Amino acid sequence: QEEAQAIDQELFTEYKFSVDQLMELAGLSCATAIAKAYPPSSFTTSQPTVLVVCGPGNNGGDGLVCARHLKMFGYEPTVYYPKRPSKPLFEGLTTQCQKMDIPFLPEFPAEAAFIDELYGLVVDAIFGFSFKGAVREPFGSILSTLERITAPIASIDIPSGWDVEKGKADGLQPDMLISLTAPKKAAMHFTGRYHFLGGRFVPAALQQKYALNLPPYPDTDCVLQLT
Amino acid sequence: VPISSRQAFPLPSLPRKQPTVLVVCGPAQNGAIGLVCARHLRIFDYEPTIFYPKRSPDPLYRDFTTQCEKMDIPFLSYLPTEVQLINDAYNAVVDAVLGAEAEAGEGREPCATILATLKHVRIPIVSLDVPSGWDVEAGSSGGISPDVLVSLSAPKRCARRFLGRQHFVAGRFLPYDVQKKFELNPPEYPGTECVVAL
Repeated sequence: QEEAQAIDQELFTEYKFSVDQLMELAGLSCATAIAKAYPPSSFTTSQPTVLVVCGPGNNGGDGLVCARHLKMFGYEPTVYYPKRPSKPLFEGLTTQCQKMDIPFLPEFPAEAAFIDELYGLVVDAIFGFSFKGAVREPFGSILSTLERITAPIASIDIPSGWDVEKGKADGLQPDMLISLTAPKKAAMHFTGRYHFLGGRFVPAALQQKYALNLPPYPDTDCVLQLT
Repeated sequence: VPISSRQAFPLPSLPRKQPTVLVVCGPAQNGAIGLVCARHLRIFDYEPTIFYPKRSPDPLYRDFTTQCEKMDIPFLSYLPTEVQLINDAYNAVVDAVLGAEAEAGEGREPCATILATLKHVRIPIVSLDVPSGWDVEAGSSGGISPDVLVSLSAPKRCARRFLGRQHFVAGRFLPYDVQKKFELNPPEYPGTECVVAL
């Protein structure tokens, strides 16, 4: 976890990347990976509907960007975003989604069965690699519900609720994981079908410094399928 | 928009041993897009070199410059007027000098000399949005002749005069209501691609 935070720090302070830049590239990677693994034609629901659950921090921001690109790719995303930071970055991302007619749910579906009926896929953008400590409401209840759905879940960076290094055997078991920048230790405990790498912006010098040993991305793609 | 600029580079078989590309950046937004493009080219394992004689004071564009410098992308201190030197050293030139917002920009230095040199290079030129020095509506008489044009958001009027090999449009991320309002009628983008060849 500290290494991931150290890499981020260098990208922001030494390389002068803005959070906006990296979040946009990260969110685009997520949408691209989803489009590769779950093309709209593969959905069993009548429309390719996707529920994007956004948490209170940067992982939630990645989710908002992802939702916007999913819309561009022909999906029908709906966002649930209960705790919104009052920072221009997140307010801007929210506006961009709203102006693209992406609905924001006023409340979380009460039962797992409702989610399964309405959506062909759920994107878990609740907690990322900075997550520590106890899960606060409303996310505790949200995660309990998500643990009971049968629709596939795609988690951004870390399955929410998992310990960033050790995982969580009785927690969320997503079908897809999109690791951003580099896979985190928790990814070793991932047992879903699809593991993608996204966030193709780490300069070679940083990759070497932190011995990331990332396999090469194909061509000009912004995602790499690991499994 | 910057994301799409770099994807327009097909991976042709390059004539030189090293995949070198010269990216010429002007003083305003078109130049800044060139900086972002150069960074992505580096990530794609090309070897970009930047010529950025007149740097914008805009903090966002200054950060783009830092990102390039930290990624070991060299910045030339001058552009050779001897065109053969450019032809020999690079496989292609990215023209990010002037965009649609330029007015009499091409008449001022250093753009005028740059464009005079670029007019005579024999390696392919990829222009971002508008071939620099062209009138954005009417096109050019005797200006540069790019091989590839990447129209940003939507093609500009002068694109009708484009005679090069490939014309890409990078405008996938325009919201639908903006597309409708300006009657853009964009083509279908394949898959998850952010550029489409016209």
